Amino acid sequence: MKMKKWMTAVLAGTMAIGITACAGSNNTGVEPAAMEALKEDTTPITIQYWHAHAEAQLEGLNYMIGEFSKKYPHITVEPVFQGAYSELHKKLQAAVAADDVPAVTNVEVASLPNFADSGVFEELTPWIERDQVQLDDFSQGMLGAYAYNGKQYGFPLIVSTSVFVYNKTMLDKLGVKPPQTWEEIDAFNQAVTKKGENGMPTYAFSVPGWDTWYYDPWMINGGGQILTDDMSASAVETEASLRYIENFKRWKDEGHLHIGYGKGASDNMRQMFLGGEIAMVEHTSALLKMYQENADFEVGVSFLPGDEKRTSNIGGAGIVMMAGAEDAEKEAAWKFIEFMTSAEHNIKWAESVGYLPTRKSAIDSDEGAQYFERWPQYRAVYEHFDNVTPRMQHPAYPEFSTVYKEVVGEMALNNADPVPLMKEAAGKINDILADYE
Amino acid sequence: MEMQNNVTKAASLRAPASVRRKISNVTKEKWKDFLFALPALAFLGAFLYYPLGYSVYISFTNWNMTRPNVKFVGLDNYTRLLTNDDFYNSLKITLQYTVMDVVFTLAAGLLLALLMNVTSSRLFAVLRGIVFMPYYISMIIAAMVFTWIYNSQYGLLNRIMIGLGLEPVDWLINTSTVLPALVAVSVWKGAGFAMILFIAGMRGIPAEYYEAASIDGASRISLFRHITLPLLSPMTLFLVITTFISSMQVFQSIDVMTNGGPLQSTNAIVYWIYTMAFGEFRTGRASALVMILFVIILLLTLLQWFISRKKVHYEG
Repeated sequence: MKMKKWMTAVLAGTMAIGITACAGSNNTGVEPAAMEALKEDTTPITIQYWHAHAEAQLEGLNYMIGEFSKKYPHITVEPVFQGAYSELHKKLQAAVAADDVPAVTNVEVASLPNFADSGVFEELTPWIERDQVQLDDFSQGMLGAYAYNGKQYGFPLIVSTSVFVYNKTMLDKLGVKPPQTWEEIDAFNQAVTKKGENGMPTYAFSVPGWDTWYYDPWMINGGGQILTDDMSASAVETEASLRYIENFKRWKDEGHLHIGYGKGASDNMRQMFLGGEIAMVEHTSALLKMYQENADFEVGVSFLPGDEKRTSNIGGAGIVMMAGAEDAEKEAAWKFIEFMTSAEHNIKWAESVGYLPTRKSAIDSDEGAQYFERWPQYRAVYEHFDNVTPRMQHPAYPEFSTVYKEVVGEMALNNADPVPLMKEAAGKINDILADYE
Repeated sequence: MEMQNNVTKAASLRAPASVRRKISNVTKEKWKDFLFALPALAFLGAFLYYPLGYSVYISFTNWNMTRPNVKFVGLDNYTRLLTNDDFYNSLKITLQYTVMDVVFTLAAGLLLALLMNVTSSRLFAVLRGIVFMPYYISMIIAAMVFTWIYNSQYGLLNRIMIGLGLEPVDWLINTSTVLPALVAVSVWKGAGFAMILFIAGMRGIPAEYYEAASIDGASRISLFRHITLPLLSPMTLFLVITTFISSMQVFQSIDVMTNGGPLQSTNAIVYWIYTMAFGEFRTGRASALVMILFVIILLLTLLQWFISRKKVHYEG
């Protein structure tokens, strides 16, 4: 009896320590005076940079870190690969819970609101103001993707957007150009879909169903929106929001549109495109290099066709500072963030990792002109530089987006009518929103 | 506490000195025992009981691992889960998977045991080794290999199907084939282990029973039905419970092969817990689901054990 009481006391005690430790992990802000002093401080310091850069990007990263240490010899940056974005986010969560965070990290663009909402990231405004960073040099959409509730938490680092990648050789042979508006899609379909003819595409185009990132812009371009303006309720079931999916259904039923869904769907779509079965696929701009290297035909890139609007969403990751880091670490982190996203290295960095440049001055420079000579396909994106917009920002987005993703899945796999399902989905989305405090 | 004091007081009043000494020796011994167990207990305490207790606490909060102010929400997480269709869907999938996995793993194990239980030939020892091999392959690796085998475009299985003149199947994309496809991996992995245990069980059955029954003219089938099967029941119970518990907690194959999809058709409970905690940042609710799963597994295991008391024959 005595022992049991003793055990519960210890248990309760350790639990209490655990709880207070969690509560204590919330340092905020650096004093302005201290910030000035830290700026010139050259005491040696080591910071960790947690990232999700795959192997193909490491050469570029190592080059950047090398250049950085030439500029700031007193700062050592330790890059730590933490796996893909989802792995990285889990480790960040655990690091925050354990109150042992890196100074700088990547964050996938759709997960920024959730972390920012919990106070995990440090707001960059004091440093931006101190060092007078020219924010208007960034693409405004890309910059906006890393702000939340009007506060700038990070800068765009590796930016992609969804584009149509097309088989230029085939389209030239058929004498058609990729559609620029929804109205042109029917004519495009008629000209391109050639069922059963040897060497001709079975499908005119493909839209990935496995990630809402690919069709959120379609919903918006059709005049719809995911949530109401005040973000309090679902809007996926409104007439304007349903326009894209009704079109998808019709194009699919007519045999022109291919929608991949489920595990391995991305690989399948890729194979079908490279094998000439699909003439045009919507995919991330980050894979352009892969398409170009593997296709035995000429590859073209076209911006998503528009209707009421014409936009495409930002993907990829940004670079942010952790609120739980020490003040001196934060100063070093800021210098690293500024360096990694600076106009000076922007083109070189973008080209080495296969993502898009983010700085207007870099694109307009001689280096930028040479870049477009090497990668003429990216022109299609830069003609619409300001139409590349942030994704929907809501902390519960990762959760409620799966609800309408499944409607697309039902349509893709079971040929279900999406309209009634979307109305049902709206109820579920509203439940999730009500549940989110 | 007071009562206890009274009792000891009363004992000291009545008992002679020698008995008193004995009692205090016993308590001393107990403390010594406890001291020896302390390192192990401390380890379990830090890595099992404390996290367990802490997750019970979390299950009553809205914690998301990162937010600084944690709110106590009472039973909210539990009621929301228990009134959610997704929960019952997930439970149904988990049970379907478990039933298929237990039945097919045991059936395959038993069949293989009957085939391979040959002591006279070295060849069978080698064959047993080969059949057992998948058991020590990591599930992650097995799942990755099977992902390729099941691929609808260039997978081995569909190549074979096409070769046989059959229509190819989207194994992991079709909602009706994906769960059996996952079960097949688990059966492939677990059948060898079940076989070894069944063989061990069979070799423990005294030969006299078979001899006596054959003299009485029993056929091979009735020998199996009336001697082998009943006397294997302790081993069968062990396998049912261990396979049951591990397949209720199926996770790795889903994580690698399907991510719970398509259309949630493989969203088993443990995988759901994982996505809830680390994908949707709902650590509190995920902890509540952990507790619910714990209770479900406990109840079902007790039920199996209870039913089995009547059905399991312990020889001797």
